[in-house]
Amino acid sequence: MKIKTLEEILKKKSSKTEFAILTNLENGDSEIYLPGTSPKGEFSKYADEIENFFKSKKNGVIENSEIFVETYIKPIKVIIVGAVHIAQYLVDFAKSLNFEISIIDPRGYFASEQRFPDIKVINKWPKEAFEEIETNSSTALIALTHDPKIDDPALQYALKNKFYYIGALGSKKTHENRCQRLSEAGFTNNEINSIHGPIGIKLGGKSAPEIALSIIAQLVSETYKK
Amino acid sequence: MKNSFDEKILDEAKDWIKANQKVVLATVIQTWGSSPRQVGSRMIVNEKGDFSGSVSGGCVESAVVSECLSLIKDNKPCKKIEFKVSNESAWEVGLACGGEIAVYIEQIH
Repeated sequence: MKIKTLEEILKKKSSKTEFAILTNLENGDSEIYLPGTSPKGEFSKYADEIENFFKSKKNGVIENSEIFVETYIKPIKVIIVGAVHIAQYLVDFAKSLNFEISIIDPRGYFASEQRFPDIKVINKWPKEAFEEIETNSSTALIALTHDPKIDDPALQYALKNKFYYIGALGSKKTHENRCQRLSEAGFTNNEINSIHGPIGIKLGGKSAPEIALSIIAQLVSETYKK
Repeated sequence: MKNSFDEKILDEAKDWIKANQKVVLATVIQTWGSSPRQVGSRMIVNEKGDFSGSVSGGCVESAVVSECLSLIKDNKPCKKIEFKVSNESAWEVGLACGGEIAVYIEQIH
């Protein structure tokens, strides 16, 4: 691989562009492929196969060839509501797991850059904050404030936009009340039951990093179910 | 659904090159049976034999390092190496897990 190609790969990765690396295993030539374009030179006759690898997000050697395809997909977007202590540990886990985190918190003293360096922190109420974030059914929401006036609008937004994972922190009682409010707001039982509440898998720990671990474990597990 | 679990090996490769090291990139390109690391898993090796990342669960890394060192020494661009199941006789390089993998090594130049 040429240094130039390596630099181009890193640039594409940091700009969250989806691409593939094509390598000719016989002579070591490699090239970056962007979806929707035609592969160049020696790779051009494998255009259909490369496109298929890309669509199925797979890596591998094209059958009966010496061409290796490696696809790079966008990281999954995770929105955290509440720039609280647990969120700081979630950010740490998310870094090694390559989730892309955004944090929403209207409370300025929580949403400080000093508490969350290198993370997109939106110091606004959820309704306004969601106008700044592109979301779809591959987005996850983790609500951590257990304050209805902050969490509820975010949960409603996530349900309406069919996020693949929605979790909300709070005791069983807090969650019961939350479900009641969502039901009064017109959400169906199926929708309400899709919320993971109380959030996280049962690990038994009570400290902030332990709760963060239980949340991130549930998030990874749900990611592979869908 | 799938997340792009990216181990930042290529980022590290860039740092090593910046520090004037010779870098060989090793990538798992094929697997058969039960193999510990999936296709696309990566490892980098420099001319001193330092390495980062992985292509197996520790089974074949030492062999990959020596292949990478030979690649630098012979100044060859790339090579494909296949590793099969290890047999019972100890210390032989192979995959104790019973899988087979193909690893592609290439110099970054």
